[in-house]
Amino acid sequence: MRFTKIEAKRLVACLVAGLMLAMMIGNQEGVQNDFGYGFRQSLKFPRVAIFLAIGLVLYVLITLFDRIRPYLLRPGIRPLFAGLLSVLSSFLLLHWTDSASVGDQKFGTISSKANATKGLATSAKLYFGSHLGWILLIAAVVLSALAIILSNKVIAIAGAVVAVVGGFWGYFAHGLLSDFLGVPDHSTGAWVALLGFLSIGAAALFVVLSKEDVAQTRYFANRLINWRPGLPLVVAGLIIGLISLIQSTWFAPNSRNATLIDTHNAFRGTGLAPLAVQYLIWLGWLLFIVTLLAAGAASYLRIRALGLVAAVIGAASILITLVTMYDFSKVAAQAGVDGATGPWQNLGVGGWLACTAFLLIGGGGYLAASPGRRPATAVSSDVLGSAEPKQRQVADTKAAISTGLANGRTLLFVVLAVALFYPPMANGFWQKALVTDIGIYVLLAVGLNVVVGWAGLLDLGFIAFYAIGSYMTAYLTYALPHRPPSWLHLSPLWAIPFAIVACLIAGVALGAPTLRLRGDYLAIVTLGFGEIIRLFAVNNPGNITNGPKGAFGIPNPVIHIGPLKLVWGQNQLQYWYLLLVLVVIIVVLFNRLENSRLGRAWAAVREDEVAAQATGINTTRVKLLAFAIGASTSGVAGVFFASQIGYINPDNFVLNNSFLVVAYVVFGGMGSLPGAMAGAAALTWLPDFLKDQVPASDRYMWVGAILVVMMIFRPEGLIPARRRRAELSGLDAPASAEARAVPASEGL
Amino acid sequence: MSDFLNYLIIGLTRGSMYALIALGYTLVYGILQLINFAHGEVFMSGAFGSYIIVHAIVGDKNNTASWMVPFVFMIGLLSGAVVGAAVAWSLEQIAYRPLRRRGAPKLAFLISAIGMSFFLQQFAGKLFNRFSNNQFPNYFAVHHHLFKIAGAPVETIQVTIIVAAVLMMIFLDRLVSKTKLGRGIRGVAEDAPTAALMGINIDKTISRTFIIGGALGGAAGFMFGTAFVFSNTMGFAAGTKAFAAAVLGGIGNIRGAMLGGLLIGVVENVVPTAPWNGSTQWIGLQWVDVVSFIVLVLVLIFRPTGILGERLGRAA
Repeated sequence: MRFTKIEAKRLVACLVAGLMLAMMIGNQEGVQNDFGYGFRQSLKFPRVAIFLAIGLVLYVLITLFDRIRPYLLRPGIRPLFAGLLSVLSSFLLLHWTDSASVGDQKFGTISSKANATKGLATSAKLYFGSHLGWILLIAAVVLSALAIILSNKVIAIAGAVVAVVGGFWGYFAHGLLSDFLGVPDHSTGAWVALLGFLSIGAAALFVVLSKEDVAQTRYFANRLINWRPGLPLVVAGLIIGLISLIQSTWFAPNSRNATLIDTHNAFRGTGLAPLAVQYLIWLGWLLFIVTLLAAGAASYLRIRALGLVAAVIGAASILITLVTMYDFSKVAAQAGVDGATGPWQNLGVGGWLACTAFLLIGGGGYLAASPGRRPATAVSSDVLGSAEPKQRQVADTKAAISTGLANGRTLLFVVLAVALFYPPMANGFWQKALVTDIGIYVLLAVGLNVVVGWAGLLDLGFIAFYAIGSYMTAYLTYALPHRPPSWLHLSPLWAIPFAIVACLIAGVALGAPTLRLRGDYLAIVTLGFGEIIRLFAVNNPGNITNGPKGAFGIPNPVIHIGPLKLVWGQNQLQYWYLLLVLVVIIVVLFNRLENSRLGRAWAAVREDEVAAQATGINTTRVKLLAFAIGASTSGVAGVFFASQIGYINPDNFVLNNSFLVVAYVVFGGMGSLPGAMAGAAALTWLPDFLKDQVPASDRYMWVGAILVVMMIFRPEGLIPARRRRAELSGLDAPASAEARAVPASEGL
Repeated sequence: MSDFLNYLIIGLTRGSMYALIALGYTLVYGILQLINFAHGEVFMSGAFGSYIIVHAIVGDKNNTASWMVPFVFMIGLLSGAVVGAAVAWSLEQIAYRPLRRRGAPKLAFLISAIGMSFFLQQFAGKLFNRFSNNQFPNYFAVHHHLFKIAGAPVETIQVTIIVAAVLMMIFLDRLVSKTKLGRGIRGVAEDAPTAALMGINIDKTISRTFIIGGALGGAAGFMFGTAFVFSNTMGFAAGTKAFAAAVLGGIGNIRGAMLGGLLIGVVENVVPTAPWNGSTQWIGLQWVDVVSFIVLVLVLIFRPTGILGERLGRAA
């Protein structure tokens, strides 16, 4: 094999990448007196050899990629890799318990402690302590890979069996561990490992089926799903519901993990309301079965009325479940069962999983009831029995897959279920992260998406409006040195309209003179504006903002209308649901806006301002509106932030945050509402996730690296807007590399 | 009066460093129409890189023999320039070139630059340290008063920085207007596809532009490090200021960047300290950044193309 110049370059690049990794990974840090210390620590001999080896492996993989590729195209390779990756991440990165007695709560720590622990069941000991988990993983992967490469059915079945055994053994070992530790469990490791193992097993089974079988099965499944909307939801609900009712923890005070029926036993003779008692014994099951049957029948037989019935029963069941959970958690505190602490406390995941199941099943029923568009491919005569050419079948299958995945309403219900019922299952850390990091920045990203994504204006000072909203709230709630007249002393939620007005004014004041400017100039002006607002807060002219100390004692939100009184306190969940309401309202409004006259005007201005002007759009007005609407969203987020956290200071509004919000929007997919939300959620989740994986101060290094890698491999973002995707992938032949060397467009 | 002159000299010193950084922004903008947001980090790596190299060569001596001082300074400038150029080159290779090949939207470049900026900032923090007050050993009496103008003392380092910066700017100006490489840069800036047809290798020209800009930024990093303190987060503030300077002078315009840098430096030091008679200042130094940004906004509103106008691809 000739060693060309390109290969030499590649080799050097791979080795350098290995060295970079060596410097990025690990705890070593530079010290002030000796700048070389960090280098030397990271490039010590045995350590650096490993990373150089990684570089070499990378080089070999890239060089031999053309030869490996045919193997990678075999059916089953993708699920195999997906499964391997998820099991690896579960074993290496995720938590396996919530008990503080197990160090960092990861698989490795549990493994090292399991053998010495007395009282842990033998099968769990085997799985954790004797590295059985790893052995099963390696065996399953090797067998499945061999089966796929050799197309051998015997090995394939063996691999699938090993994978299934590995998955379920791990899952039950985790259950035994949780019982042993007796701490409410919020960890995700066992779930991810189970799914990964099952995916590996499925990959092996692909070999047992012939290609035709695979195509036919897929075709059948897709026809089933497309012809009967709602069925996937019902099936997901069935699985989750069964897990909830049979296996999950419903009630978890001190050292007790009670399943549904255990819970009933625990409350015998405590004066629990009859509804709750009946629920725990049989009503829960009955509701589950009835909803399931109704929704399943409705979606399978396409009976619309029955679907509506299922949806109604599902909604009622959610309510009954919630009432039951409230009841028994309240009674537990009164009767002092195992030191329970009060209503909505000490709940396990079981109740919330049941709610999720009811929501999914009911949603499936609703989908079956609502007249949806049928995919065009699924209406033809029954293909399975006919002698249509196979190619046509495959093409149909592909089309069916794409329409099936594009079925947004199914996804909507899943997102809704996660948003409503995941937070109560999470532990305190994640609840806080969901509210203060993820939720607020999703709101900000949705706002900035209007400015950057739709109108194509680069705003690098977006956080300024957030600050204005926050300080407005502080002012109106008497938390700043200067106080408003007493008739203006408001509770935080009433500050929302004022904050919106203030941000509108600020947005127009900033935009009116500067929106004539070209994109990059606008960027620098807005950046300056963001910095000026922050410096204004720091420098505190006329003691308006209380300087670097900031505003203290901003009250928490209260809603008090007539008999209705809602008080927000320390519980993060309350804020989560408030935030959810705000986000849903804003997203619904913006969704209407996107395809309105104004939304289309924004698109026109973004694509070509001169042409837009020529068609009679008042471009300045349209841009100003985008600016103001984005700004007011930011202001709403500011109100929420101020009243949730209770104190604000200028450090909350640094320029870096503005950059980050732009990064969220672009990362998610410019101009796409779900994209902006997904991007913000993913990138705000990431630092919190990395907290357990890397030294805390290195988190943003990894975030930066991930941003770069993402932009290199997927510049259009996670969920690109349809228009943008067409632009990037091109409707006609791609231009040559030379012609595209310099981006031609003036706009964004 | 002496106060005014004093602040003027400080402003010129800072301004010449801003100008050097702004040149990097303006060169890249001129050729790619992109804001290279990670350029501030190039400046920062120049400071750290030159420290390591100078420290390795000269050692920890506090008072160098006077004949060595110019050499140390030259070594510092050179090493800063080399490190800055290397970082800028790899920046282009990693964060920009793959995106150009894919024809990514313009904002994707911005995001990968922001990502690179985060990465470099924290990476330098991890490798070197995260303290905010690193200082060069006092190789030469940087704060020695060389002479006085109308009662305002002028320090050695100020003279050195201003002279070195002006020399580099003259060099760059000649480079872009007289040499073949400069012609290539101007050609690509004016019309890339046509320049390609004329036999200019676009990719090479672009990476050389990054190298030139990075070298200037890295040298500025060394100057900044010797005159003040340096840290892994210093690139951000200086970068935004320099970017403002580039826009102020007319982005893409090389002489504009020089003028804009000097102007921002002078304005931000002279205006907030008025009146210059030793009594209480009207505005105060804490409003430095606000003043410079307001000047920028005013200039943009009344002359949206910057002071000297955008002349993409032309030296002046």
